[in-house]
Amino acid sequence: MDPAIELRGLSKRFGKLTALDDLSLVVQRGEIFGLLGPNGSGKTTIINILSGLSRPTAGQALVFGFDINRDPRAVRSLLGCVPQETALYEELSAQANLEFHADLYNVPGRERASRIAALLDLVQLTDRRNSRVSTFSGGMKRRLALARALLHAPQLLYLDEPTLGVDVQSRRALWDYILGLKDQGKTVLLTTNYLEEANALCDRLAILDRGHLVAMDTPAALKQRYGDSVIDLELESEPSAALLQALRDLPGVTDLTTHDGHLQVTASGERPLAGQVVTLVTNEARLRSISQREPNLDEIFLHLTGAALRD
Amino acid sequence: MRHDLRVIRAVALKDIRSALTERLFTIISIVLPLNFLLLFLLFVLTGGEAPTAVVMDDTGPYGQQFLQALQTSHSFIIQQTDAATAQRLMAQGRIVAVITVPATFDAALQSGQSVSVPVAVNNLELDYTNDIRRAVPLAITSFYAQAFPDQVVVHAAEIDVQPYDTGYIEYLSVSIVVVSLLVGGLLQAGSNAAREYETGTIKELLLAPASRWAIEAGKVLAAVALNVLSAGLVLGVVVLVLQVRPTHWPELIGFTLLVMLTFVALGLLLGTLVRSRNAVVPLSLGLALPVFFISGAFGPVQWGTPVLATVAQLQPVYYAIAVFQYAFHGFQTTPFSVATNAIVLACFTLVIVSVSAIALRLRATP
Repeated sequence: MDPAIELRGLSKRFGKLTALDDLSLVVQRGEIFGLLGPNGSGKTTIINILSGLSRPTAGQALVFGFDINRDPRAVRSLLGCVPQETALYEELSAQANLEFHADLYNVPGRERASRIAALLDLVQLTDRRNSRVSTFSGGMKRRLALARALLHAPQLLYLDEPTLGVDVQSRRALWDYILGLKDQGKTVLLTTNYLEEANALCDRLAILDRGHLVAMDTPAALKQRYGDSVIDLELESEPSAALLQALRDLPGVTDLTTHDGHLQVTASGERPLAGQVVTLVTNEARLRSISQREPNLDEIFLHLTGAALRD
Repeated sequence: MRHDLRVIRAVALKDIRSALTERLFTIISIVLPLNFLLLFLLFVLTGGEAPTAVVMDDTGPYGQQFLQALQTSHSFIIQQTDAATAQRLMAQGRIVAVITVPATFDAALQSGQSVSVPVAVNNLELDYTNDIRRAVPLAITSFYAQAFPDQVVVHAAEIDVQPYDTGYIEYLSVSIVVVSLLVGGLLQAGSNAAREYETGTIKELLLAPASRWAIEAGKVLAAVALNVLSAGLVLGVVVLVLQVRPTHWPELIGFTLLVMLTFVALGLLLGTLVRSRNAVVPLSLGLALPVFFISGAFGPVQWGTPVLATVAQLQPVYYAIAVFQYAFHGFQTTPFSVATNAIVLACFTLVIVSVSAIALRLRATP
């Protein structure tokens, strides 16, 4: 069975600028796959190529076995998109937006009304079906855009920053919808800059930087590659070189940074290190605060690429 | 095929709905072409004939005949007055010239002597001045031929090609209908196309498994439907107010639809290329005016310079004016038959819509 997405040696150049450089990856059917990277990393270029909006300079992009260059209409009929800016007709009602989409995607006439009703119900917008979209909140627009993308029953759903600018409650609801899609056997490709979101949703992540694939793995494996946990300590004085060396020598410490009395120790492995770190630190300095957490996406990205994620 | 037809219908209905929500812009798009019609008509009405005072110091039969010759020359708006009033009107800038029929006019002519007719001209604008310089001698010739038919032995034996004369306003107003349709089509379709890019909704269209050609065809239909109001207004003014009656009604309706299709397609291409309504408006007006002037608005282009005639034939307004002149007056204003002109317009439409579809594909990335 063909994978949902297969990119083979994909390159895209705009004049002297290389947006994608010999990129290959495979997304399996039924997978929720995350694309991560800062602006200019190549995420949008991949999506534009997959949806037929842009042609690759070299390489091949296949969606469910269809070559996007040879059969773009077949690929588009399998693809549902929720772009970041939602692309809804704000001057029209929710119902009119969905009816228009149904016509564009040739949804059978006898199923149109029932599908629209079911999806409006799913995204809890039934009571606002006749309201103009311009009167909707950001979260409502996202939900409507999701309903629209699902209307033609696509096999592959692309979500661009699906919860950007959405309140916490709506975010949770959207996550539930997205996880529900996986249960229905849909393949989901999403971009996000939130590790929490990637953790909650993605089976695998691909980290991109300047058109290159930097890493591709499960969220847990990526975190482990950087370190399982991060211990943040605030000291009353700057740590000495001897203390820093002693901390670096602890088994399991993978990274150590210091800045203005703040000390950040990244650790991996089974053994809990917090106790040993605190003992070493308090032998030399007074401790103001301590906290332990998972590494965030910025830190993983910085570790992998040497650059900040939101640059 | 059925899917393409469904897409055409859906895009057309959606565009009409969207346009109707932006009432102010839609009203402007409908009313602006009418404004063009009125503007050009004012231009014609204010520039046609020179306001002239005639001072009759001799009211004898020859003097009266001369006054009649001036009145029927179609060059003056005659106001008969005394010398003092004429001077005052000239000083106030209300007339271009004062023509004085001298007291010795009749007597001199009866005795076979020459007569000098004083013509005072306010020569501040050469076009009017030349009108006077040309028209007065022509009026004298006309008077002389009527007053002394035995002495004027050379006559022009006019053979008219057309069954009746057509006034400047009647001819020009038909051309103005075309420029009004051009402005309306460019504005309506251009803004509909550009709005998709401005609001980001172009993605919804581009990501759909629909043919680009069907999307563009739907947009053309919507703009034509919206333009029908505008075209109806303009044609209503020309037919009912200006009393310019079409000689070929069925052709007029058919050519109006064809010309609207062509111009709307042009607007669609413009909007797809510039992607901004702020750019569509000045470009539409900036494009319409020069194209109108080189396309035979005031008379057949072939009567002008060969270079201009060649340039005019490269764009659709030339053919649009030709088919409208035929529908209204039965004229042939190009070297081609009316059917050929219509076919060329249809070809322009197909080519422009196809180029728009290609532009939509090539410039797909929003």
